[in-house]
Amino acid sequence: MHLTASRLDRINPSQTIAIATKARTLQAAGRDVISLSAGEPDFDTPENIKRAAIRAIEAGETKYTDVAGTRALRQAVADKFRRDSGLDYRPEEIIVSTGGKQVIFNAMLATIDPGDEAVIPSPCWVSYPDIVSLAEGKPILVPCSQNHGFKLRAEDLEAAITPKTKWFLLNNPCNPTGAAYSAADLRPICDVLLRHPDVWVFTDDIYEKLVYDGFRPATIVEVEPKLRARTITMNGCSKAYAMTGWRIGFAGAPVEMIKAMDKLQSQSTTNASSISQAAALEALNGPQDSIPGMVKIYNERRDLVVSMLNAAPGITCHRPEGAFYVYPAIHGCIGKTSRRGVKIADDESLVTALLEEEGVAVVHGAAFMYPGHFRVSYATGTDLLREACTRIQRFCQSLS
Amino acid sequence: MPALAQRLGAAPVAATVAMTVRARALRAAGAEVIPLTIGEPDFATPKHAIEAAYKAALAGQTKYPPQDGTPALKEAVQRKFRRENGLDFALDQIMVGNGGKQVIYDAIMATVDPGDEVVIPRPCWTAYPLMTKLAGGVPVSVNCPENNGFKLRAEDLEAAITGRTKLLVLNLPNNPTGAACTKAELGEIAAVIRAHPRLWVIADDMYEHLVYDEDFALVTLAAAAPDLAERIVTVSGVSKTYAMTGWRIGFAGGPRALIKAMVNMQGQVTAGVSTVGQAAAVAALDGPQDLVAERRAIYRRRRDMVVKKLNEASGITCRKPEGAFYVYPNIGGCIGRTSEGGRKIETDQDFAMALLEEQHVASVHGAGFGMSPYLRISYATDEAALTEACRRIAAFTAGLR
Repeated sequence: MHLTASRLDRINPSQTIAIATKARTLQAAGRDVISLSAGEPDFDTPENIKRAAIRAIEAGETKYTDVAGTRALRQAVADKFRRDSGLDYRPEEIIVSTGGKQVIFNAMLATIDPGDEAVIPSPCWVSYPDIVSLAEGKPILVPCSQNHGFKLRAEDLEAAITPKTKWFLLNNPCNPTGAAYSAADLRPICDVLLRHPDVWVFTDDIYEKLVYDGFRPATIVEVEPKLRARTITMNGCSKAYAMTGWRIGFAGAPVEMIKAMDKLQSQSTTNASSISQAAALEALNGPQDSIPGMVKIYNERRDLVVSMLNAAPGITCHRPEGAFYVYPAIHGCIGKTSRRGVKIADDESLVTALLEEEGVAVVHGAAFMYPGHFRVSYATGTDLLREACTRIQRFCQSLS
Repeated sequence: MPALAQRLGAAPVAATVAMTVRARALRAAGAEVIPLTIGEPDFATPKHAIEAAYKAALAGQTKYPPQDGTPALKEAVQRKFRRENGLDFALDQIMVGNGGKQVIYDAIMATVDPGDEVVIPRPCWTAYPLMTKLAGGVPVSVNCPENNGFKLRAEDLEAAITGRTKLLVLNLPNNPTGAACTKAELGEIAAVIRAHPRLWVIADDMYEHLVYDEDFALVTLAAAAPDLAERIVTVSGVSKTYAMTGWRIGFAGGPRALIKAMVNMQGQVTAGVSTVGQAAAVAALDGPQDLVAERRAIYRRRRDMVVKKLNEASGITCRKPEGAFYVYPNIGGCIGRTSEGGRKIETDQDFAMALLEEQHVASVHGAGFGMSPYLRISYATDEAALTEACRRIAAFTAGLR
């Protein structure tokens, strides 16, 4: 008998965490390492939100809540969807979970039977294919090339859908590329989906607020209300309000789907932390003035990083619409040799050499199912970013 | 709507939740419902835990935590297991989850393949068989009869184990009966486990601090049988001990490989656990423990009162349990009768529903826990409400024809 269940063999160890661990080990050994691997804001949670959490604790909001979240928070989420996207969800059509990840997990486990397929544009956050595999489904990756701004083309989606397709998952704006879809971008994708009425749609909009140069991202149901009956619209507090550690994600969906997810959640974790829910309520209902400040800083950093990376020989870096990542291509570095004699055969050897020789931690593209690139997170102080990009330039210049 | 997955058929809404929903609806309609349904303390979270949470939030401990728990909490859990249970775990043998429920979910998902059998003594918390089914496993129930104090007998356990058995789940003190085993009784169970070297064990000790009689000392399985420690994952948390249910913090100590697999599993479900909650849990575990003893004394008084009053109600007999905050009265004497409101009582569910509708006392019927005809009464409610609830229950049974 195998020690652990075979389902665990279907999960890949997180390469993002592996890189972060390696960077921390080097730092502990006294090396000067700049980590551009983080998937979370470097800002602190806004003060009004922390104070709201403290008030909730004082008021004794330390008990179990409804599995799907407090009534007040579900109403606030419904209001948020209406305010930001013109979506019409009732509180019964909302679920609050322990992070956006749990919403995805609940949704996949609630719907996927063995052999069902899930279409996922790549590069992608590796949790999508991992969770689909864990649910015994089959991830179908559709490459989205840099030539098209890392955006999915409708014809590629159409070609990927089969009678076994259960899901289409879209991350907008996208981790790791930063690509974001406007209403016009989504229109042809919605048209494809309308032709396939048995496909569920999952839109992960967690980076929604982090878009630049006045770009406005749209969400699927806003563009095509006819898809509402089979779409899960997911969002959360982690990125918009720098609340990763509080673990609050949420979604709007048809009530049958919410009930199914509620059932699963009641068997795995019950409710999200009651205190974090109170904090999320303030985040959504309270003043929103912390967001423009953060967005302005991210915008400046994105511009800085894109221009500095494009000045590094062998690298081309697309300027994306959102998130806090860029996803430069390294094709011009492949086949060369680093100063210390390391052969750059692929993205993984490049990021390893970059970490060891220049002390800059980034995540290689293979970790996002799309090699030939690496991911840079610019959720780091601007001075450190400048220094890190200088080191990347130096590293690339030294390749021979 | 496109179809849902077949595995969902295995997950009905928990019976406890269904009763709670009905009670809430009655209350919304103006009825004064006394809820004896829910498994959470009526006390407040200790002040020092709350202060630690404030400090953590204000100090900016609001970022992604490591998936297995913050180092500070894992160290506090390590100390707790040493101090309270005599168990010695390295830090990589400890993990933190979103409540004990998630820790158990992680353990079941990390061990059970489709078709594997999981032995679950019953009556039991509904989550164990449901999680087993979600993992594609087969729950195998072993009755723990009232005449054995609702405790698992070694020979019954032995008879339930087959070549496909992968896991045994022990919950002591038990939800819903409050039963807990002595060290000698655990020794007999350990002997059976010893004879089956391919069996994993979850020891769910969530109610470990809620035991009441001076001559009763609770021992956890891994301490009673240290030679089996490589196969036991010991689960506890802060929810019941420190009245911190809403914070969602549970933890486990166990063999390194299994803990690693559980963390891996959790990484796909929720990633880490609320940082602010983890900071509060450190303070609860490391801080003064006198509140625990004070509250234990209060629970004990309530247990004694509820057991006495229920035994005075006609048609009900109630065993006095060792721990938790539940009693599990036998309502066999009421079956086949008719309530004042004209409701025929054929099952414990009929009883619980009629009691809720006619006397506005919410309890959970035993069938929800796999053993009838019983009720689960939670006494995590203040004494005035408990007294009134017992009065209403007695009035209800007195009215049966």
